[in-house]
Amino acid sequence: MLLINCPYCGERDQSEFSNGGEAHVARPKNPELVSDREWSEYVFIRANPKGIFYERWVHTHGCKKWFNAVRNTSTDEILKIYKLGEEPPTLKDFKNTPKTPSGEPKVGSGNFAVKKL
Amino acid sequence: MSALNNKSPYVIDDQKISFTFDGKKYFGFKGDTIASALLRNNIRLIGRSFKYHRPRGIYTCGIEEPNALVQIPSEYNDPNIRATVKQIYEGMVVESQNRWPSLKNDIGSINNLFSPLFSAGFYYKTFMGPKGFWKKVYEPLIRKTAGLGKPPKKFKSKSIHFYHNVDIVIVGAGLSGLLAAKKLVDTEHDVLLIEQDNFLGGILKNTKKIKTINGQKVNEWLKKTETLIKNSKNINVLKNTTVTTYNFSNHLVALEDKSVGNLQEKNKPELVLHKIRTKHAILANGHIERFISFRNNDLPGVMLAASFEKYIHRYGVIPDNSPVIFTNNSSTFSLVKSLIDLGCKPQAYVDAREKKQIEKKTLDLLDTHNIPAYIKSEIEGCDGKNKVEEVSVRAKKNNITKIKTSMLCVSGGLNPDIHLFTQSRGLIKWDSTQLVFKPNSSFQNTITLGSVSGNFSYKKTSEEVNKKLNFLEETKNLEVKLDINDFEKFNIKELWETKHAKKSLWSKSFADLQNDVTTRDLKQAVLEGFDRIEHLKRFTTNSMGTDQGKISSVNSLGIVSKILKKNISEVGTTIYRPPYTPVSFSAIAGRSTYKFYDPERKTPIHPWHVNNNAVFEDVGQWKRPWYFKKHDGETMYEAVQRESKQVRRTAGILDGTTLGKIEIKGKDALTFMNLVYTNDFSKTKPMSGKYALMLGEDGMVKDDGIVCKINDQHFIATTTTGGAMNVLSHMEEYAQTEWPNLNVYMNSVTEQFATFNISGPKSRIILSRVFSDIDFSNEKFPFMTFNKFNYLETEIRILRASFTGEIGYEVYVPPKYALALWEKIFYYSKDFDLVPYGTETMHLLRAEKGYIIVGQDTDGTVTPIDLNLNWMIGKNKKDFIGKRSLIRSDIVKENRKQLVGILPLNKSENIEEGQHIIESETLSTPIRKPVKMLGHITSSYYSPTLDHCVAMALIKEGRKLIGGKAFVSTPNLKTIPVQIVKPAFVDPKNEKLLS
Repeated sequence: MLLINCPYCGERDQSEFSNGGEAHVARPKNPELVSDREWSEYVFIRANPKGIFYERWVHTHGCKKWFNAVRNTSTDEILKIYKLGEEPPTLKDFKNTPKTPSGEPKVGSGNFAVKKL
Repeated sequence: MSALNNKSPYVIDDQKISFTFDGKKYFGFKGDTIASALLRNNIRLIGRSFKYHRPRGIYTCGIEEPNALVQIPSEYNDPNIRATVKQIYEGMVVESQNRWPSLKNDIGSINNLFSPLFSAGFYYKTFMGPKGFWKKVYEPLIRKTAGLGKPPKKFKSKSIHFYHNVDIVIVGAGLSGLLAAKKLVDTEHDVLLIEQDNFLGGILKNTKKIKTINGQKVNEWLKKTETLIKNSKNINVLKNTTVTTYNFSNHLVALEDKSVGNLQEKNKPELVLHKIRTKHAILANGHIERFISFRNNDLPGVMLAASFEKYIHRYGVIPDNSPVIFTNNSSTFSLVKSLIDLGCKPQAYVDAREKKQIEKKTLDLLDTHNIPAYIKSEIEGCDGKNKVEEVSVRAKKNNITKIKTSMLCVSGGLNPDIHLFTQSRGLIKWDSTQLVFKPNSSFQNTITLGSVSGNFSYKKTSEEVNKKLNFLEETKNLEVKLDINDFEKFNIKELWETKHAKKSLWSKSFADLQNDVTTRDLKQAVLEGFDRIEHLKRFTTNSMGTDQGKISSVNSLGIVSKILKKNISEVGTTIYRPPYTPVSFSAIAGRSTYKFYDPERKTPIHPWHVNNNAVFEDVGQWKRPWYFKKHDGETMYEAVQRESKQVRRTAGILDGTTLGKIEIKGKDALTFMNLVYTNDFSKTKPMSGKYALMLGEDGMVKDDGIVCKINDQHFIATTTTGGAMNVLSHMEEYAQTEWPNLNVYMNSVTEQFATFNISGPKSRIILSRVFSDIDFSNEKFPFMTFNKFNYLETEIRILRASFTGEIGYEVYVPPKYALALWEKIFYYSKDFDLVPYGTETMHLLRAEKGYIIVGQDTDGTVTPIDLNLNWMIGKNKKDFIGKRSLIRSDIVKENRKQLVGILPLNKSENIEEGQHIIESETLSTPIRKPVKMLGHITSSYYSPTLDHCVAMALIKEGRKLIGGKAFVSTPNLKTIPVQIVKPAFVDPKNEKLLS
């Protein structure tokens, strides 16, 4: 279970939080003017990378506040937490972090000794 | 032959304890496990195996036990209890598992002769047909013969959860764990020392391998160290506690057994689940010996060598005074020495290694005591009925020598106990000298000490502890001098299985004892293409038992690597998954059982409902009256028909307290409400309500309810009972993330008001009597108006709205006054025949009127247009959540499913919810190809007012089909002809509603 540092309440167990998916997916300012494709991408399409991921969390069983986090999805390490409206950190800030547990390859998972790419 | 008693300081032999095993009474001593006590009584046969029902005995002396699993009827009849762990107490009742009629004569063992049928992957291959055989023949048969214990009795868990936040956790209080703890005594670090046994010491107590520590006798040193740790200000010790899980962010889960050696107490927790957060985890959890596969290596009487040694020193039981010892490494030296020191003599010593690899002191010992030594030899197999009677030794040139013995001690090497380390996602590597997987690099702040890190030499332990822990602040170098009575060089020879001379169908060489996987199964699986170790594991179920193959999984890798002609490091290992040892569900559940599992929410009227024979329905966490029984014999159908009829004839009252209520306030409340609901509230008059729809961004209906506008800065929204939390979260999400510039706040006020829905022709006159100062006339109180009134010393709110189609009012009252007001309403309606009704009648009444229920008539793929609710969409609004999606090509296409009404042509016929609507009148029997389906029935009720069935359905291009005919298919392949109509059956022109 992750330990999440709510910017308003401090470190709490993951069970108090809900994940809100990818962060910084802007709602089109004028929905009427965008194409079906653009709108569908806003509504349905989300990134799912192995590695650095900018995502939203909400302290559901706490202050109910939303905030953003940068997490390495292959290690589950939360690298940075910042409030809504704050400048997101750039990818460069995390240059050295995308290690994977058990030295597994960059895509896929499981038995690294067998699945060498 | 027989078990002898040795003096052990850890078993209290003046406390005799009696217990029963399979109905027979035996004696043991305080501190004995079931296994040590049974060995004391010369009992070798403990249970029957999983698949082949082969006789099995005690293989090990600890948590790794694959065979000796028992059931304890004197407790909650928990199955698969490891006899090698569970301590006995006076009056304990123990039973063997998976045998019938008795352990000695088990009928299921005939499975063993059919074993070609039960080989690897047999479930996948054997039970393919004929149709219907699985459910009627195969499954009951497998359930009867396979498997181990029986399910436990029903009981209430008293387990609790305990949370820790510490700096350092030390797992294991053996030599290295204790040295680590000693180093941390009285530092600023907050330390938790966890030991799975009921005392500290581990190897120091289980063997005599270490004679003295710093010149002191082991027991003296232990006593002093324990006192030092106990008196320190910063170290807490948990005994009888096994760390089962090592998660991300250094989160460990440990299970503590509170009733070791005692009957569980009635009012105290039996298990404690410790959830631990730590900065550093020190793993000092040692090693586990592994076996070697040979013919019939599962016979009772085969035991791991180190376990045999542990029974001698830890429990004071010598399981046998003249066993045969079989090894491929030096670790058995101390067993030979222990036996000789106790005046026993091993029958023979069989070593697979060359003479030069065997340590001189071992050879000398064998020589001095005339113990027959078979060098460069191996055990081919053993034979006997229900126990080992004879072993076959294969020496050079394939000569087989038979030796009569009743016990065979095996050592196939030592496995560092890397389960927790790999759970922490640390990287392991294969050590080709010691033939072990050992930790290579940590992924978290994990430190391994002692044999878990592959260091089998006690001499180096203190050096390792100092080296790895000196980085911690305030720690000093430890000076530890050990006098050791153990091997110097491990010198292991690779040997996973010995050559099997086939003797009979009964002969088997096992790779996994608990799941009855043979070495032949492994070979067959590889032949069939399952050469990846993760696939092979699942196909053969190798190491998938409750013991997770602790003594055998590395051997299987060895065997597979030989078949594949690869190095073990290339074959890799499967991932060790939590829990390390079985965790009882009662510990996981803790106190969250029965009514504490999920809170029950009750309305203030609940006691009245109970007194009036309400039958309750769970809606989310709420208990809602489903229907009220007028007399004991009344069925639900009769009650609902009676209630519904009466509401339309006179009046009815529903406890609507559970409906979600959200207050929205702020300067920009109007803008916000216009964005989250489809409706346009700009021109809505203050103090009036509106039926409102909420969509998701995908344009699908998410929730509905009545929104009351108090003024442009203040709204009250009602939601469905189940959707209350989601709607509030949805609003919060948009307020915080999309429109933080809007000044708006929202809060749930569901519990601040009890709500009564009163409807029916007499509802107006009833309320006029109850609130004599309020004018309820149609002119003063028209449909959808909302008013606040003073009532006693509080304030109530009344909304004229209806979910039945009759004139109706919703009364909102603070909960404190609710029950009294409810009773008052009944008092004033004596002459008007007011009926309390439940949710089922509510559903029926709204269906008659054609009102939808979100979640019943919709399923997350339904838009307002599909529901004919276009009128609720604020066309002039520039934006609201989901608006853009309503003009997506897929949403505007014509052949979507749309909501219609359905009436049976033959009025006496009944339609069921969920039935399919099709075009053709007849169905071929049996059905050979898919039948074209138009849609399905979403709601259907028998209307007592109309005296026939009324239904709603979602069907393709439904609106176009109105006026037409279709058919409803039934399970017996008959069809019901129906008419497609507009979904409004009662008062379609709203005359009654608005009167």
